[in-house]
Amino acid sequence: MKPRRGALLLVLAATTAAPAAEEFFDSISQALSFQSASGSHAARLSGTLDLEGYAFSQPAPGLIQSQRERLFNPRFSVFLDAQAGRRLYAFSQVRFDRGFDPSDKDLRVRIDEYALRVQLRGEGRLGIQVGQFATVVGRWTLRHTSWENPFITAPLAYENLTAIWDSAAARSTETILKWTHLSGSSTPAQENADRHLRLPVIWGPSYATGAAVFGRFDSFEIAAEIKNASLSSRPDAWNFDRDAWHHPTFSARLGFRPSMAWNVGLSASTGSYLLHSASRTLAPGTGLKDYRQTVVLFDASYAWRHFQAWAELVHGRFEIPRVGLADTTSAFMEIKYKLTPRWAAAVRLNRQTFGDLRNNQNANVPWGRDLWRADFAPTVRFSPNLQAKLQYSIQKEEGRPHAQHIGAAQITVRF
Amino acid sequence: MHCHRHILDRSPRWIVLLVGIWIACCTELQAQAVIQGRVTLPKARPSVVVNQRYEIVVQGGVLAVHPPVAVVYLEGKFPASPSQPLARMEQKGLLFHPAILPVRAGTRVEFPNLDNTYHNIFSYSAPKRFDLGRYRPDDRPIPSQVFDVPGLVTLRCDIHEHMRALILVLDTPYFVVTDTDGRFRLEGLPAGRYLLKAWVDSRTTREHGVELTADNVTTIDFP
Repeated sequence: MKPRRGALLLVLAATTAAPAAEEFFDSISQALSFQSASGSHAARLSGTLDLEGYAFSQPAPGLIQSQRERLFNPRFSVFLDAQAGRRLYAFSQVRFDRGFDPSDKDLRVRIDEYALRVQLRGEGRLGIQVGQFATVVGRWTLRHTSWENPFITAPLAYENLTAIWDSAAARSTETILKWTHLSGSSTPAQENADRHLRLPVIWGPSYATGAAVFGRFDSFEIAAEIKNASLSSRPDAWNFDRDAWHHPTFSARLGFRPSMAWNVGLSASTGSYLLHSASRTLAPGTGLKDYRQTVVLFDASYAWRHFQAWAELVHGRFEIPRVGLADTTSAFMEIKYKLTPRWAAAVRLNRQTFGDLRNNQNANVPWGRDLWRADFAPTVRFSPNLQAKLQYSIQKEEGRPHAQHIGAAQITVRF
Repeated sequence: MHCHRHILDRSPRWIVLLVGIWIACCTELQAQAVIQGRVTLPKARPSVVVNQRYEIVVQGGVLAVHPPVAVVYLEGKFPASPSQPLARMEQKGLLFHPAILPVRAGTRVEFPNLDNTYHNIFSYSAPKRFDLGRYRPDDRPIPSQVFDVPGLVTLRCDIHEHMRALILVLDTPYFVVTDTDGRFRLEGLPAGRYLLKAWVDSRTTREHGVELTADNVTTIDFP
């Protein structure tokens, strides 16, 4: 069966009469669940099919890689969850799509996540996890998958590209300003030409490879990890065999849950943001370890009944020897309300500002365009297995004459 | 006879009343029928593995096991219940208890959260569509819903995707859940001709005509 026809059949199955569809997906779930004779070992395959469409003006916003102004982005994700007794848990995610982020490239298969978790002490008091998995920094990763995310895109801190490259070190402020396209004379095509080289503060859920230790102590949660790539690093750098462990990134989050409704946390991360291949571009007398990214993130969330709210304040710093400290601060607040059992609405306000660098005339100049973005997204769940989302975003960057309007639609089938 | 009347005459009135009620109850019980038997159950479903991919700090692993059971009920015309029945479907250990709950139409079902975490119970089933939102163990009043349309309602939790349970809303006060071997005993049934049904799963309901007479135990197996 061709992938497109299979996807169509899955969507059709999900949109048939609800009880029949629920039974169909329950039977799939049963067929994809396995357990040992004793029942102490079990595994389950599940997944999602996402059919996404984007409409935007150039240059493409966020992490979208496309020269066009319309983009169809299908994605088929398969998850494996396995449990052995109460202490061992393993999971994996395999995706078949056009790239980790929306793009118009060819479809391909990729293993995005795999991890083994061991609970050393019961009730989540102490555990370790090794593999390739989402960062412990912040709380957005908990809802980054298409079914959980009230929006189709990520908050600004997780997708807005800065002027930092990972394949080359900036040798001067002028280089940074050129990569930022701040002059205003750059055409969308010129801006698109180097988009694939630029980094956000945090690249999506940052599935880098490494190990984490975590635990819960009364109302406190703590998680710390060592990974092979920084938070800003691109998906290609997350794999175990890329750049390995010469300059690992250390991250941690301390969370406090004063009540079930509230969760606040403080995260920090530091590590080298340049790829090993950038070694030949470093300033004389410097090494990769001198090009560090440091992130401090405060998160807070609240949930009660049909209302949920999340907020994060992210401060990112890229150290650029001989140039300076490139600082950026990003914040967002996200609210979701379930209007009915099927309908939900979400609003997110994003803001990102950039600090100054000193140019060759000894003047302070911003190294990025300050911007804000408002996202609006209604969601309808037709059944426990079928969901449709719309998103409208308006983004305004300082220095650009017009606001950018972004439209997106997403249908998700979950099995 | 004289002696008997004498004792009654000397007893307090409330004793006379209690004896009267007791005799009435015995007479009523003796007039009621019992059905017992066994339902052949399907194979047990595999354990459900809990998705813990992104909530890294979690409360240990849970292998959710729901051995299959059936619901046996008597179908017929029965008088309405004088008061609204109340039932409970608990959430404990990231599971629903019980996994299947038969109730008579019109029953209010409470959903107490006995876990130290949020739950968010919802249903998209046609007989009852609702979403309770996120609520704590100490939230009062305990969230509840009235199930007044007969049919099958599938419950899920919006936070814990592995959690699933069923409420079977029936138009009869006479029902029982089998044990995990499929055995059942339905007591206190009125005499008459009825249809005995065994709900096994959403696609399988077996039935058997029965004629119940007072003081009689009928045995019916559903192969």
